[in-house]
Amino acid sequence: MKSKECVAMILAGGQGSRLGVLTKDVAKPAVPFGGKYRIIDFPLSNCAHSGITTVGVLTQYQPFELNTYIGNGQPWDLDRNDGGVYVLPPYVSAEKGEWYKGTANAIYQNIGFISRFNPKYVAVLSGDHIYKMDYSKMINAHKAADAAATIAVIEVPIEDASRFGIMNTDENMNIVEFEEKPKKPKSNLASMGVYIFTWEMLKKYLIADENDPRSDNDFGKNIIPKMLSDKNRLIAYKFSGYWKDVGTIQSLWEANMNLLSETPGFMLDDEDWKIFSRNPAMAPHYISPTAEVKNCYITAGCKIDGNIENSIISSGVSVERGAVVKNSVLLPYCRVKSGATVEKAIIGTNAYISKGCRIGEQSKDAIDDFFDPNICTDDITLVGADVAIEENLKIAPGSMVTRNVKRAKNMEITAKKTADTITA
Amino acid sequence: MENNNMMGLVFSGNPEVNLGEIMKVRSLAAVPVGGKYRIIDFVLSNMVNSGIANVGIITGGKNRSLSDHIGSGKAWDMAKKETGLFFLPVSEASSGAIKSFNGIDLINSAMSFLERARQEYVLVCDCNIVCNINFENVMEFHKQHDADITVVYSDVGELSSDRLKSSVLLDVDEDGRVGDVQVNPLRQKLKKDYMHMFLLKKDLLIDIVGDCLAHNKHSIEKNILLACVDRLKIFGYRFDGYHKAINSILSFFEFNLDLLSPQIQSELFGTDTERAIMTKVKDSVPTRYGTEAEVKNSVVADGCSIEGKVENCVIFRGVKVGKDSVVRDSVIMQNSRIMDNCKVENSIFDKEVILLSGKKLIGQQTYPLVIGKRTIV
Repeated sequence: MKSKECVAMILAGGQGSRLGVLTKDVAKPAVPFGGKYRIIDFPLSNCAHSGITTVGVLTQYQPFELNTYIGNGQPWDLDRNDGGVYVLPPYVSAEKGEWYKGTANAIYQNIGFISRFNPKYVAVLSGDHIYKMDYSKMINAHKAADAAATIAVIEVPIEDASRFGIMNTDENMNIVEFEEKPKKPKSNLASMGVYIFTWEMLKKYLIADENDPRSDNDFGKNIIPKMLSDKNRLIAYKFSGYWKDVGTIQSLWEANMNLLSETPGFMLDDEDWKIFSRNPAMAPHYISPTAEVKNCYITAGCKIDGNIENSIISSGVSVERGAVVKNSVLLPYCRVKSGATVEKAIIGTNAYISKGCRIGEQSKDAIDDFFDPNICTDDITLVGADVAIEENLKIAPGSMVTRNVKRAKNMEITAKKTADTITA
Repeated sequence: MENNNMMGLVFSGNPEVNLGEIMKVRSLAAVPVGGKYRIIDFVLSNMVNSGIANVGIITGGKNRSLSDHIGSGKAWDMAKKETGLFFLPVSEASSGAIKSFNGIDLINSAMSFLERARQEYVLVCDCNIVCNINFENVMEFHKQHDADITVVYSDVGELSSDRLKSSVLLDVDEDGRVGDVQVNPLRQKLKKDYMHMFLLKKDLLIDIVGDCLAHNKHSIEKNILLACVDRLKIFGYRFDGYHKAINSILSFFEFNLDLLSPQIQSELFGTDTERAIMTKVKDSVPTRYGTEAEVKNSVVADGCSIEGKVENCVIFRGVKVGKDSVVRDSVIMQNSRIMDNCKVENSIFDKEVILLSGKKLIGQQTYPLVIGKRTIV
């Protein structure tokens, strides 16, 4: 095996529980985004453009769809004779076998994998952020500073800083302190979850961390603070550009809507930095004589007979005549039948919205059994994959619909509702 | 099932076909159609979807765009070790001697590919008859009838004298046996139109091609089909689905606009049959519609940005239509840009055409205006 200068490890094992029903059957990085992408396309495309050709993707939660999607890595030019993309689930060895306990432990368990490539540097990346970043520039900064670790940071409004991991730096961008979600932030430089480590150094710390029974085996909580307290040189690498953590329904919806804003924060259409994805073999989309499409993204395989406004329409979606879709994200293959309306919603893959349904409508007779203010903040309505909603039913805003919804007579809806309130 | 003992041979050109400006820069096989496809995608996908894993493409001149499009064959899952997609360029020596239509010489130029292949049967196809056909059914028909050669045909009505001149009509009896072949007839007596696809045993093809060349005979239709109609069991397999022969600017234009019918679209692209037409991936972004966009009855590929009005059009990848522009009944190829305040009707824009602000281009339905590649108007 030839030595590699840098191996990237993408952390894709999180459950993504804040995405609710969207991650019921798929890992967070496999969640569709922007019409024809999956979240993991962003770090993978970044790797491809940055010249990092050896990438490990650490999975453990619902890995099937993600594994199938990544496949041999061909869509990202990562099908290599030497290196390429590897899906790395936890495994059982002669001594023991266990799940990835934390981010640091996930890398620890793959020391053997990384060492095969004998890299100088290891990039540790999150699998759930939307951004375009040239990691090679960051690696150059890391080399120039001769740092043990370089952490990408982005300036956030100081009032939001307490939601992030904050880096306090000196004037030379040396990190002096790391605070996870500080109540009183001293700086507005938030960690993007993008790290470059000098591999020999990281390996030492991973082994020490693993041997510490009190550790949470987490980069932010354990590895970085330990490296700092040992007086290693850690630098912050300032990134300017669009970066969005899409870990919640609200941020996922916002990130999709950002693509449509007048001055899009994130330029999807970038010839020099294409986001690669696994493209299904589908015909171009068809806009019929009865359709109206305004301010939206629509992709292959769609058939549009209805009205679309401010929305992201993924591949293979059909929207029938008289249906209205506004401020929404329709995931692949979902169907919106005639006369239905969908407002400020995320409709899951292959979901079926029957004739005359009203999704996300505030009215007295709207079904509010699925109201879930913890997941569906900001009145966003979420319909799970493969869920079918029967004709003319109304679903209240802020609902997370996790199963088929039928009329009252079928007794599918919970008993606390009386028949006349749910029969539309 | 893959490896069904059939191999494919595709002609990338056809000397009888002239698409004018559009074929100045590319071979027939590489002519862009349907928003994101090239003509050859249909026959290749049909072969792949029918389990044919070994395909040779016989190519003449102007191969850059075709070879760029085909690449390793990955898009069709044809980048394989022992089989796959093979380019078979006609060598200078043989092409120099060839002037008119010369199918047999072309097959002969692919002889070593044929001889090396392990498959027992070979399917020989033109590339410019666009349809979604399952060749496994043709094979089954071939075996059922114990045929020597099976040709694919479709029923047609009255053909125009123009069409007639370039048609090969068949007389097929109730059992499917071909009794007569009329090549480029002057008057139409038959209503079964040969679709330029035939299946036979590879060894038989090699044998016939050798015989024909030894007798200075060069035409597949005249010297194989017609000449063998009594000697061999030639059967006709009727194809009933949508198909279009692209052999003129007008038929090219009509084919593209046929795709505005959802029925034709879903049949041709195999939406319900899982027999998808595959093409080279471009990683374009989804298409962006602006707040002022008005789009009706159009097929639009990815990567476009539409600000104006588009009606009854086929819009290829990466096309931009500016504000207050109106584009109607037109075919706009990849990366063309129509700036603001333009008007376009009944036109075909080749790739990378730029129409500057305020310009008007109006063609006729029966005579569309063709704007060549990279023209700035």
